[in-house]
Amino acid sequence: MSRFKLANIIAYGFVTLFSIYVLMPILVMVLTTFKSKREIFLEPLGIPSQFGISSFEKALSVGLGSFMLNSFIVSFFAVFLIVTISGMAAYVLSRIDFKINKFVYLLIVAGFAIPPAAVLVPLYTMVSNLNLLNSLFGVIMPLTAFGIPFTVILFYAFFLDFPKEVEEAATIDGCTKLQIFFRIIVPLSGPVIASAAIFQTVWIWNEFLLALIMLTSDDFKTLPIGLLKLRGEWTSDWGAIMAGLTIAVIPVLIVFLIFQKYFVRSLAGLGK
Amino acid sequence: MNKNNTQTNSFSLSNDKVSATILLVPALIFCTIFIFIPAIGTIVGSFYSYSLTSMNNWKWVGFGNYVKATQDEYFWVALKNNFIIVFASIVLQVGVGTILAAILDRGITHGKIIFRTIIFTPMVISSVAVSLIWLIIYDPNVGILNAIFKSVGLSTPSKGWLGDPDISIWMIMITAAWQNTGFMMVLILAGLQGVSKEVYDAAEIDGATGVKAFWYITLPMIRNVLIVAILITTIGAFKVFEFIFVFTQGGPSNATQVLGTYIYLQAFNLLHMGYANALSVILLIIALFLGWLQLKSSRKA
Repeated sequence: MSRFKLANIIAYGFVTLFSIYVLMPILVMVLTTFKSKREIFLEPLGIPSQFGISSFEKALSVGLGSFMLNSFIVSFFAVFLIVTISGMAAYVLSRIDFKINKFVYLLIVAGFAIPPAAVLVPLYTMVSNLNLLNSLFGVIMPLTAFGIPFTVILFYAFFLDFPKEVEEAATIDGCTKLQIFFRIIVPLSGPVIASAAIFQTVWIWNEFLLALIMLTSDDFKTLPIGLLKLRGEWTSDWGAIMAGLTIAVIPVLIVFLIFQKYFVRSLAGLGK
Repeated sequence: MNKNNTQTNSFSLSNDKVSATILLVPALIFCTIFIFIPAIGTIVGSFYSYSLTSMNNWKWVGFGNYVKATQDEYFWVALKNNFIIVFASIVLQVGVGTILAAILDRGITHGKIIFRTIIFTPMVISSVAVSLIWLIIYDPNVGILNAIFKSVGLSTPSKGWLGDPDISIWMIMITAAWQNTGFMMVLILAGLQGVSKEVYDAAEIDGATGVKAFWYITLPMIRNVLIVAILITTIGAFKVFEFIFVFTQGGPSNATQVLGTYIYLQAFNLLHMGYANALSVILLIIALFLGWLQLKSSRKA
């Protein structure tokens, strides 16, 4: 009995300690935002004596609002394209016996494996030659491409388990595959669409490398690149930097807390 | 089936082909234009010497860029750092993630969802934001790490936590673990929940409980999930970029470079496009090899 209790204490202790390790940096970020410069230097472990908002004003003066808007536009369009295009392709791969399907699936998996860093120079050259550097469109297109392979794999697994009876009935009624997909499959795929969309939104919202090389003008920077500007502008004004981070991070955390069920589901599906 | 039916089928089959093609083509176009053609471009470009400013002035150098890589001390440093990060990430993220998952699965009864949500949270924060948050923690003047060390009477590194490459690579690991361990935990937890209760009951009759049951019964049963977790971590470790870009910029004197940051440095700071391509091809080969391993393991699973 006492051995059981000891094991229990260790188990709770371990997850509690790990949770503190996870929460502390977030707490530091929020508290530093409200501290005065003096407090930041003299009492790194202390809590702020007042809740000043001057740091937020400094952070917003860098253009955080417009970076956020850019991130929103890029995420919205890229995620819409990724989910639509991947869903369509995955449906074909899971239903129709084209001879080339196996090859297409292998291509998709290869596309999943290739990281943006491995194609950086030609991709930059291509976007530059198309005159799309410093345009949101120029980032949305390659980001869409890099989001497709993973999403196809996710949808493919879902469609394989999808009951086929409804589709067979529709086929007898003379529906084409195109009609079946949009009228029957899509309305019944809510959960997997939600998982895919949320997962891709987080990825695109946070994407750094491609945005870094493509977007050099302040007007088009997305949030992750904008945060670097924040640091450049307020080099050792940690209050301003942390205020910017708080503005950038808290909305994502709220979205995550609301939708966390779907997150966990889409990630858990990876192991299957 | 009568003849009439067969005809309808063949008609709808050709119709199917048209609509199937319409559904499949956009994905192929996107991946071809923005992934496969650039991948081929990387391979072709790796045999030339050119710079960003003289785009039309390509000089054929054969395998020259690859020979240069084998003689480039910093390339080997970058590759070595990637491997250190792979190894440490597997231990820290998959190892600790497994322990956390096991505790959440059967070790505790209360607060499972709260703990899971907290530990997973950093996964949704951008790596740049994560790096900047940890930058203040590691800061020698205002950081809480120094403050904690001093408050218990320990000495702190003289060049700061990020100034000495032997220390900073570990600070990068701690930050990466902070962001990714929750992801591994959730992945492995899903595998653990697939292990049926009867297995544990049977094990208990044989006298295996707690840690013993976990080691001898649970771990072998979630082998496939663990392989996927290790592969995802390995692939992630080769993609690592932001932490190093923000913390050290690869310095001091290139000691903390990884392939990603070194490719970026060669291409966009030094404008050695051909050489950057050759380094990219090496990364490409590693990535495709890992992708192939993942495909093989997921088929087995």
